[in-house]
Amino acid sequence: MNDIAQNTSPGRPRIAALVTEYRRYAHGQNIVDRLMGGYGWEGRWHYPELDVVSLYVDQFPENDLSREREARWPDLNIYPTIAEALTLGGSELAVDGVLIIAEHGDYFLNEQGQTLYPRYEFFRETVEVFRRSGRSVPVFNDKHLSWNWTWAEEMVRTSREMGFPLMAGSSIPVCWRIPAIDLPWGAEIEEMLVIGVGGIDTYDFHALEGIQCLAERRKGGETGVVAVEALHGDNVWQALDDGAWDPALFEACLCRSLSLEPADESRRHTYPTREELPNLVQKPPVAYRIEYADGLRATMLLMNGLVRDITVAARLKGQADPLSLLFYLGAGHEMQPNFFNPLCHHIESLMLTGRMPYPVERTLMTTGLSIAGVEALHQGEKTLPTPHLDFSYQVEDTSTFRRT
Amino acid sequence: MTEPTRKKLAIITTVWDWRSHANHMSERFFSGYPSQGRWHRPEMDMVSAYVDQCPEGDLSRQRAEEHGMAIYPTIAEALRMGGDALAVDGILLIAEHGDYPVNEKGQKLYPRYEFFSQIAQVFQEDERSVPVFNDKHLSYSFEKAQRMVAMAQALQFPMLAGSSLPVTFRLPSLELPLESEMEAALMVGVGGSDAMDFHALEAMQCMVERRRGGEVGVKAVQLMDGSAVWQAGEAGRWSRGLLEGALARSDSRSGIALSDGRPQDLVHSGELEELVENPAAYFIEYNDGFQATLLMLNGAVQDYTFAARLKGVSEVQSTQFLLPSKPNVTYSACLMAAAEHLFTTGQAPYPVERTLLTSGMLERCLESRLNGHQRLTTPELNVCYKAPEASPFCGSFV
Repeated sequence: MNDIAQNTSPGRPRIAALVTEYRRYAHGQNIVDRLMGGYGWEGRWHYPELDVVSLYVDQFPENDLSREREARWPDLNIYPTIAEALTLGGSELAVDGVLIIAEHGDYFLNEQGQTLYPRYEFFRETVEVFRRSGRSVPVFNDKHLSWNWTWAEEMVRTSREMGFPLMAGSSIPVCWRIPAIDLPWGAEIEEMLVIGVGGIDTYDFHALEGIQCLAERRKGGETGVVAVEALHGDNVWQALDDGAWDPALFEACLCRSLSLEPADESRRHTYPTREELPNLVQKPPVAYRIEYADGLRATMLLMNGLVRDITVAARLKGQADPLSLLFYLGAGHEMQPNFFNPLCHHIESLMLTGRMPYPVERTLMTTGLSIAGVEALHQGEKTLPTPHLDFSYQVEDTSTFRRT
Repeated sequence: MTEPTRKKLAIITTVWDWRSHANHMSERFFSGYPSQGRWHRPEMDMVSAYVDQCPEGDLSRQRAEEHGMAIYPTIAEALRMGGDALAVDGILLIAEHGDYPVNEKGQKLYPRYEFFSQIAQVFQEDERSVPVFNDKHLSYSFEKAQRMVAMAQALQFPMLAGSSLPVTFRLPSLELPLESEMEAALMVGVGGSDAMDFHALEAMQCMVERRRGGEVGVKAVQLMDGSAVWQAGEAGRWSRGLLEGALARSDSRSGIALSDGRPQDLVHSGELEELVENPAAYFIEYNDGFQATLLMLNGAVQDYTFAARLKGVSEVQSTQFLLPSKPNVTYSACLMAAAEHLFTTGQAPYPVERTLLTSGMLERCLESRLNGHQRLTTPELNVCYKAPEASPFCGSFV
């Protein structure tokens, strides 16, 4: 199969965006509008050097904006099928890059609690066009690869076999960090903890990325995961009391949060006591306990109400204090979701250079961790062996998060 | 129980309710605060208080009961803890809220100078001084502010003052190198006068004081508002390039960005002029010829951003001064970390002259507004100082 080096399209890359829906603040809107209209970047307004020329929209809710955008931007057209969006209505692939953005919309919720967003389906139809055209172009897949492990694995395998760059994941690994630090490349990590918010199958993925984008930088690189355990509700508090994770990591995460909720109606700025914690966490807490092949242990906690942001802490060998940081996403929905800016910057780089800024194996791993966590919960808070996640990958030492 | 080795603090304040500076700041000493990944508990206790006004919602009495703090009817008694000699090791002077008159310049006459004078009198009478932290500006009056700094020098006590903006988180974590060859600077702020404009001016000052030659004072100021602000921009009095640099750091949403989600290049789209309710421009001309401008752009943004152009550097240097929201309003912990440093070491982490000059700039700008927006020469604002080598702000260290 041809690789992207044979892409001879003159001038600016032309991009097709396949979105589940296009409404205000949906991922599709956030990403496509930034690529089309620009965004604040460093000390200026940045207009990406590419054009989104075609759109496939799976669902049109009442507040749809895609038709308004089609009218607004003369070069952008909505097509009724994915194949037509990729061929611009012709018979062969006619774009230089593809965005798969399938995060929102009305899709079936299965009994495990997963929303069956059609990422794999979009991807498969994309690949069909690539095959038919004898040509492939870079693909960006927003967030996790699929809710189904077999499909996620197939997506990555297909991109390797056909030789096109596949970039995936959410904004978490690339957003502002406070403080603006990375895990020292090659550091030895003994234990990690991430505290996040939201529900399983949605925000667990973001928190897991918060672990993985640092863990993969450890000595020896990523060596794979051998087991995932999931806990829920009181069992999470029991695990805390049993010392299942380093209390200094828990404190570090809460002290990097900018949204730590005090116990008494905000009239104080207190650190929560053990007794206060269950009252502050509004939904039953969730924990995923991850056992890596090289012995690293990591814990993901979802503690809605106690905090409203995502923080991570790592115990490094030979260091007295944990390394800890906040993944800064802004002040909730009161602000612009500008954490999409660095993600769009990497998308632009992918489309202009054909190089992946970070390996898709990170997203494959976090996709697998999320699926395993959801499944472990569904099976009654089990520990599940994960032989399929026992794969390794390496990252370069260059940091890719937003610092400037 | 207060251990004998722990330092004792007094808080002198106007009002103490749950949204007040007094509450946010005293909490950092009562309850501790997040710092570098730990819950830090200062090795000092707030043991006495003077509270000028106690309207409904007062928390000072409750805190006194909870923490064994004593409230005294006068400042002198609070400092002497009811005895006959100065009995505390540090003082927080917080006079930002409360019911006080407003003068013709639109300044609320908070009694900072009056409180400070009483503190200094106790120091003088008792022949001993301790460090004083003064929240926000020194006084609504530059002359009174000067007298405050002179009293601190005469009685040789360390003094720290100012807003939380210079010490809060920055996105990105920008610190301009000392002795930067700065060509121009622009700050964008929001909120009312004379409350929020001070914060914005001091944030601007903590950046521009790092220019070549250090701070040499201000020779003239002018405050414009309304359409004259846009006209001044067109005439090149302030730079739209720098405004683009500052707003590129904003995460606010308004106008189109709010109604349908499209991020807006406000500087070039024409939307800015529609969104801003009543723009104001504070022009500051320094003695070395450097010029800096604060634009207050209510309606368009809700955050504080800064941009500067350095000689020989093509990219605009810019950042957002991040003000984390409720519940923890962590920026006040950043400020109290600086106050704690003052009380622990007896050294102010940054010069009080920054706040003195900013207090004067604001007062003279408001005078310009009162005098038909005239440019005012300000020979009295010849405040000279050197910026600190390391100017600690939250997130600048791990």
